[in-house]
Amino acid sequence: MKFYKDHYDVIVIGGALAGLSSALMLADKGLDVLVLERHNLPGGIATSFVRGGIEIEAALHEMMSIGPKENRLKVGKFFDDMGVDIDWLPVPECYHASLPGLEVTLHPGLERFSREIDEQVPGTYDKVLKLLKLCDTVFNSVNELSIHPMSKPQMLLKHEAFVKTAGYSTKEVLDTFDLPQKALDLLAPYWIYVGSGFSDLPFTIYSVLMADYVGYGSMIPKKLSHEMSLKMAERAEEMGVQIEYRQQVDKILVKKGKAYGVRTARGDEIYADYVISSAYPNKVYTSMIEPLTEVPAEATKMVNGRRLSLTAFSVILILDKPAEELNIKDYSIFRGDTMDTDVLYDNLAGLGPYRYLTCICHNYGNPGVTPEGTCSFSVTVLPRVDGWKTVKAEDYDRVKHEVARQLIDDMSEYFGVNLLDHVLECVIETPMTIAHYTGAWNGCIYGYAHTMEDHIVARLQTAEAERFIEGLEFAGAHAISGDGMGPAVTNGRKAAKNVLDDIAAKEAKR
Amino acid sequence: MKVKNFIKDVGGASRVTKKRLETFASASPALESVDPIGEVSRAWHPGPIELVVTKITPACKTAKTIRFERTDGRKLPFFYAGQYIVLDFKIGESLISRPYSISSAPFEARADHPFVEITVRRSKGDGFICDYINDELKVGDVLTGTMGLGQFYYEPLRDAYHVVALAGGVGITPFASMAREVVNGTLDIDLTILYGSVSSDDIVMKEELEALDGVCDKLRIVHVLSGDEPGWTGEKGFLTAELIKKYSAEDTTYFICGPQVMYKFLHGEVAKLDVPARRVRFEVFGQVKDIAVYEGYPRGLRDETFELTVVRGISEVKIPAKACESIVVALERAGIRIETGCRSGECGFCRTKVLSGDYFVCPEGDGRREADKDFNYVHACAAYPLSDMKIKIPIL
Repeated sequence: MKFYKDHYDVIVIGGALAGLSSALMLADKGLDVLVLERHNLPGGIATSFVRGGIEIEAALHEMMSIGPKENRLKVGKFFDDMGVDIDWLPVPECYHASLPGLEVTLHPGLERFSREIDEQVPGTYDKVLKLLKLCDTVFNSVNELSIHPMSKPQMLLKHEAFVKTAGYSTKEVLDTFDLPQKALDLLAPYWIYVGSGFSDLPFTIYSVLMADYVGYGSMIPKKLSHEMSLKMAERAEEMGVQIEYRQQVDKILVKKGKAYGVRTARGDEIYADYVISSAYPNKVYTSMIEPLTEVPAEATKMVNGRRLSLTAFSVILILDKPAEELNIKDYSIFRGDTMDTDVLYDNLAGLGPYRYLTCICHNYGNPGVTPEGTCSFSVTVLPRVDGWKTVKAEDYDRVKHEVARQLIDDMSEYFGVNLLDHVLECVIETPMTIAHYTGAWNGCIYGYAHTMEDHIVARLQTAEAERFIEGLEFAGAHAISGDGMGPAVTNGRKAAKNVLDDIAAKEAKR
Repeated sequence: MKVKNFIKDVGGASRVTKKRLETFASASPALESVDPIGEVSRAWHPGPIELVVTKITPACKTAKTIRFERTDGRKLPFFYAGQYIVLDFKIGESLISRPYSISSAPFEARADHPFVEITVRRSKGDGFICDYINDELKVGDVLTGTMGLGQFYYEPLRDAYHVVALAGGVGITPFASMAREVVNGTLDIDLTILYGSVSSDDIVMKEELEALDGVCDKLRIVHVLSGDEPGWTGEKGFLTAELIKKYSAEDTTYFICGPQVMYKFLHGEVAKLDVPARRVRFEVFGQVKDIAVYEGYPRGLRDETFELTVVRGISEVKIPAKACESIVVALERAGIRIETGCRSGECGFCRTKVLSGDYFVCPEGDGRREADKDFNYVHACAAYPLSDMKIKIPIL
């Protein structure tokens, strides 16, 4: 029986947000696309599962770059343009910060956010607002430049702030604002979503993060991230994309420096002009390219020279009381015993006790997400892969429960309520869980660490030279825009754009 | 360079690019494929593995215990006591899968001579595979299995230290696994098993359970016979609220596994106990015997047979599908592989897109995601055709 066409324009490995974004954009331009996904549903970690009759969000805290219907941001606009109609709900706040000497909830909007910090640390309004506006300027430049690259003199003319901050770490730029420590602490909690300590985190990345989240707020899909993933997949199929689930791609076939197809675990060889891989370059260049002699030395050195970023550990609880009765009062709580991100980054290299926790209570953004009289509450730590790489299979269950207990105990102490007395359902997601369901290299969900050695600006400038195998593109957290569900969409679009540009260039030659 | 002067610095982009290229240039050229986190995930969940039957022993007059080992002799995957294994059978033209609770213990799967066991009772005529296992399966037979599945296990962050297991018939199997793990010292709970049987010669795994009972003060097994039996001095009748209460601690989690009639009875009894919902855990319901008895199932359809068009990739085939049987059964009868897990509508392994046609979803344990419902996805083990249908399933 014949399950595949003789030839496709593009094969996309992985049907998560990046891969589906590629597929949507390519199908929109009339290309014949096949998506191969190893799991039996789309989305990767942007998914949900059902326990005890309750549907539970697997991973999404908040989606950035969506914006309200009348004023969509980059990612929201892409969904609209593609006809992916998601029921977005606004997240009510930026975060509740629970830090030494600080208990405060901050809300989106540059002015409001600055004012709320000023209420805690009087006299900082102007400086904080100036910083956030600088972030916003850099953010806008990044958005524009990632779509329309330009020459250096032009860049300096039109994107001065972007150019002038490009060479500096977040810490270096923040220091120039001369802010009191408490104000700096309140400007730091989101760092975890980009996952590098401030002394090594490019200010460019910090700018994008802050401008987007703080300036415009964030959204979540009403029927959890599975709604988003499924609607993308359904729309792609409607546009003619063939999506096949339960298909693990083992090999990418390469001949004379050019990718020409894939082989699945089932043994199907499928051919295409282009392959877009959501699998990590580490995996692709060390075991997937066939033959491996087609892997250039530069590619191997590149993956060896990059540092994997963060993975995720979450305890998700369905509790048998409404949130407010358990003293849970916010959608998101960031809690740490310090806000020194360099110290916290070191702490993430181990297996706990972890010092910086991220908590989400979905009921505050999505009332009715759990049955009446219950609530959903998750505690997440985003550790580096280093510590988890040392865990042996026989110790896995013990370590997993020790870490989970620490997270719950810490938050129980904070709320003054023993959460363990209210657990209807308890799901522990670990780096191994992620590896199991998505195949992500070492369970890493953040791709490569944003550092001064692996700077977004440098990534953009060297991107062309790092397309080592003709016809092979990468889409996923490991691509240029890095981690996060919003950036995943951008990464997918960028891979599709590379394919489209390449086709256009070839046609122009003819 | 002074940081304060960054606002005059226009060389940053070039600097970071140079730094990046230098970093890569000095990196190791060795091809290293090191993914220890992925390896741990595969040690727990390797996917389907090849198993060989190495021992078959009677578990009572009507049941047998089947021991499996890996054909390559390696250790079996890690799992939690209470979880199940899905076994794949090829019988005639049919490709059939079935879930069975694992009756051996997790530590036995990792011991020096590793094995996994299931205990299966012969049916009363309606259990095709149960009878196949009891009558046909023999030592040396090879089949594939996927193990470590299901949510029916003790979770220390959720469940009470005191556990009362309510078992009926062959529903003892997950508790046999837990009991062995408790005695071995690798499951730290206080476990009381209330095991309901009709008569003493009806008790599944009687001798194995006797060997475990009394060995350790954290485990006790209480047989409860519903039939009259001369000389029986133990507990009699059904697993009533009163009896359950007698063996409960102040804070107890109840695990319940048994036939569907017992579930219906115990829902009522457990309600009388007045314990929080989080303290009661039922194993999945299983395939229903007669879908037509459910409310909402249209009258007069149960004897119909419809045409089911099955799309895999760019191919289509048409097969017959009985209205009274789930879509999974129709596929299995036709020899079309579909992955299944719980076969109760909950786990979603058999998630299937309905492209056209009407269907009925069994209301017992409908585990579908909300967005899936909106887009006509069903769990095919719990969905029944009500007209000709077209579905898309994964290519296996």
